[in-house]
Amino acid sequence: MMNLRSPLISKTWKTFSAVLLVGLIAVFHLFRADPASARIYIDINAPSVQRLKIAIPDFKNFSERGENPDLATRLPSVLSNDLDLSGFFAPMDKSAFLADTQGQASLEETRFRDWSVIGTDLLVKAGYTCIGQSLEVEVRLYDILSARQLLGKRFLGRVDEQRTLMHRVGNEIIYLLTGNKGMFLSKITFVGTGTGNKEIYIADYDGQNEKQLTSDKTIALLPRWSPQGDMICFNSYKDGSPMLYLKELLSGKVRRISDRQGLNAGGSWAPDGKSLALGMTHGDNLDIFNIDLTGKILKRLTNHSGINVSATYSPDGSRFAFVSNRSGTPQIYIKDMAEDREERITFQGNYNTSPSWSRLNRIAFCGSYEGNFDIFTVDPDGRNLRKLTDGQGDNEEPSWSPDGRYIVFSSNREGGYHLYIMNANGQNQRRITFMKGQQTSPSWSPF
Amino acid sequence: MDYSDYEPLNVTEEVEKSMIRKWMMVLVVCVFAASLLGFSSCAKKQVKADEAAKPAEVRQAAPAAPPSDDADRQRRLAELEKQQKLQAEIRAFESENIFFDFDKSELKPASRAVLEKKAGWLRANPQYKLRIEGHCDERGTVEYNLALGERRAKAAMKYLSAVGISADRMSTVSYGEERPADPAKNEAAWAKNRRDEFKLAR
Repeated sequence: MMNLRSPLISKTWKTFSAVLLVGLIAVFHLFRADPASARIYIDINAPSVQRLKIAIPDFKNFSERGENPDLATRLPSVLSNDLDLSGFFAPMDKSAFLADTQGQASLEETRFRDWSVIGTDLLVKAGYTCIGQSLEVEVRLYDILSARQLLGKRFLGRVDEQRTLMHRVGNEIIYLLTGNKGMFLSKITFVGTGTGNKEIYIADYDGQNEKQLTSDKTIALLPRWSPQGDMICFNSYKDGSPMLYLKELLSGKVRRISDRQGLNAGGSWAPDGKSLALGMTHGDNLDIFNIDLTGKILKRLTNHSGINVSATYSPDGSRFAFVSNRSGTPQIYIKDMAEDREERITFQGNYNTSPSWSRLNRIAFCGSYEGNFDIFTVDPDGRNLRKLTDGQGDNEEPSWSPDGRYIVFSSNREGGYHLYIMNANGQNQRRITFMKGQQTSPSWSPF
Repeated sequence: MDYSDYEPLNVTEEVEKSMIRKWMMVLVVCVFAASLLGFSSCAKKQVKADEAAKPAEVRQAAPAAPPSDDADRQRRLAELEKQQKLQAEIRAFESENIFFDFDKSELKPASRAVLEKKAGWLRANPQYKLRIEGHCDERGTVEYNLALGERRAKAAMKYLSAVGISADRMSTVSYGEERPADPAKNEAAWAKNRRDEFKLAR
């Protein structure tokens, strides 16, 4: 099992998570977890996962004057969607529930037989209390087969940030059952055409809470979230030709960092977040350069005729994958920087582009073998090629989740391009954006 | 390797740049206005020279005669015609694209002929600068298409440069798959979209 507390996780994140845990929103343990619950219910490294059937009846409203009755169904639907998208759970249809959930006075009493007879593996029972804008949700998770409570916690938040609160509940359940950090609080940046122009947007990982980040009224492209989560680099034509910009999310400031004549293509963050790999015009060719965050060139990374673009760093930063057409068609290559060696890793089909290197050392890319464009994954040595999308329109521009277990990509399987997520093995493909216009070029934030 | 032309920008430089750009605009407008004035005064001088060249007795025959309205109109019409011809040439120049095969940036023989013609016009009109825009069809991924569009623009620029058009007069910009000429999703539309466009500026 992968140890998530690896040195790869930045200090910033540690500080951030510490603040999150201690500050702002307190989480109270109601009960010390049963020692037996330390057991791993879900082996997330298994090649395919048997989905656990989870029942999430409506939440009870404990508010004194019955405020916000709509939360009784809205809160569980956020959690249900999270658990469904995770690929580990199959949320059960409420109409199958036998137990009269409304009639039960407390969360503690559970008629386990009523749940086991309909095939339930896990049950979430929860209630909420609203005082003004404060929202407290009490959640209990039961293992039906062993008739045991696995989790009992209260979560504090705000009514207007109810989705965030429920994502925390989801992460808690994932951590408890898999031993790995959940990604339900992560976000996605992408290009949207809702205004008639291409602008950069961000949204929660599930496509909700979208916010427009740029209003340049021209073409903005290729947003890429920094490894620390504090910045997004992107391309824009707002100064006449494609140049690279950096947006600081906290201050909202935008800086132009590469404005070379010709093309400044998409930036790719080095794992330390201190520099970028950028494909740009150099003489007659397009080569990849390492630039710092002021745009100064630190190093030339490729030196080959033709097109060399779309770099993506390995988790340790010692290598990067990129696209080159030196063979006559676009193919994926790996550059080992210490050994100054470049190796081609894709040999099937005549169009392989958009590589994205995961934290778990798989490379996702977009390939075209039989007309349509599909998402594939491959090991950095070119082995274990796997096709993840098949027969459903064009599927492009994959980006990995911070835990390397999910891929977000754009697909035109339902007409225009929209964003979809799927498990690393291609299972559980779900559309996540339902906004006006088209959505493309997703990039997943860190945890 | 020389990266001396590639300096990072800071915010103040950005502001300065945009100020400089504003003043440049003002300057360009002034120069343009001045050139118009200059042009008309040249025309007047020409008229005077013509008069001076005429035989003395003709001048004496009509010593105080103002320049004939008719001749003036003729001259204005000729000028207008010249301008219209130039505008038509520019429109023709800008409307003739060159086209590429899928995933290719090599020039086709037909494209070379088009570029020869453009080179001829550029030689005859040295005051014009050229911006070459490379485009792709919608198939494939955004960033690779940006790169491919840049290669297509560069291919035309290299050719023009080889036949004697100074590289200082030319620039390239790639629009990748962002600005299709025909939004339809079929081979006929894609063939129209894999193109270089040519934009003139003084």
